[in-house]
Amino acid sequence: MEASCLDLALEAERLCKVGDYSAGVSYFEAAIQVGTEDLQVLSAVYSQLGNAYFHLHDYSKALEFHHHDLTLTRTTGDRLGEAKASGNLGNTLKVLGRFDEAIVCCQRHLDIARELGDKVGQARALYNFGNVYHAKGKSVCWSGAEPGDFPEEIMTALRRAAEYYEANLCIVKELGDRAAQGRTYGNLGNTYYLLGNFRDAVASHEQRLLIAKEFGDRSAERRAYCNLGNACIFLGEFERAAEHYRRALQIARQLKDLAVEAQACYSLGNTYTLMQDFERAIDYHLKHLIIAQDLNDRIGEGRACWSLGNAHTALGNHDQAMHFAEKHLEISKETGDRSGELTARM
Amino acid sequence: SLDDPQSSAVANLRSDHFEMEPETMETKSLTEYFSKMHRDVMRGMA
Repeated sequence: MEASCLDLALEAERLCKVGDYSAGVSYFEAAIQVGTEDLQVLSAVYSQLGNAYFHLHDYSKALEFHHHDLTLTRTTGDRLGEAKASGNLGNTLKVLGRFDEAIVCCQRHLDIARELGDKVGQARALYNFGNVYHAKGKSVCWSGAEPGDFPEEIMTALRRAAEYYEANLCIVKELGDRAAQGRTYGNLGNTYYLLGNFRDAVASHEQRLLIAKEFGDRSAERRAYCNLGNACIFLGEFERAAEHYRRALQIARQLKDLAVEAQACYSLGNTYTLMQDFERAIDYHLKHLIIAQDLNDRIGEGRACWSLGNAHTALGNHDQAMHFAEKHLEISKETGDRSGELTARM
Repeated sequence: SLDDPQSSAVANLRSDHFEMEPETMETKSLTEYFSKMHRDVMRGMA
């Protein structure tokens, strides 16, 4: 009986490792049905089942199983297990926007890691803390304010996020954990960006880029180029921003990721608009439009039409400008975008 | 507005499209646990 539960759980673990989370969930659920008296095995099953649901974006199920794991580890007095369950629960609560509860979990994760002298655990708890404060800052509506100019509540949350990421960096540098440094530099760069510290943001994203290259992690490299482009825009360094976005576009194409390819084209279109190179802007906005149509992304299509209308207006191509403005109006009505509709009518 | 492509482009770029790194989830490996159990049994038999 016991071996059978473990066998099912081991197969589930193997499936999750290769990214087949749906099949993994079925095997883990079957393992729970069979049952086990080995509470270490049960804790691992709850934990991995929670993680599988997390990867499948079923956060209420993820919450349920990480909560079972926390209750179990507390009952058995398994401190390391409790720390891990708290970390996973905190990440899940963060995604659900339940930031105050997530903070309690992060604190418990950090406290236990300190109690056990577990440096790796401390670093991970600090990273999670940073993510929760960053998400908390982002979650508050900033109604059109510029980065660095948000209401005090948001700036406080973002400053705390930066403090936690910086504390994490001290430990992961000490541990020589380059992969963890890469992740932290990326998120710290985005936090500096929102705080309006664009020079620090660029420095962080450059570090992230360097580490991504060390690992041959093309997705992380693309993310870094995209984030570097964003920061350069706010520094007024448009040519440099365009160069970063072009690299991001090149990698997106190599990875055959159409959605991020569309985003890179859109960013390039906007950057060339800022440089008043409207022909190139039109070229990239058209590329964006074609991909948005392929992906049946009506909101993206609407944005592309709006941008194309602007660029053609700037070039004096009034017929083309009118064509795209009408398309934008039609899509805004369809998607219920009131502000888009009002802009299009102008 | 349509008359001001620069500010509209900046507004779009500011629209929080930066990319975050993935969350790090804690793992409790059954494979490791099973291997340890197996080693302990073998040690007991020796």
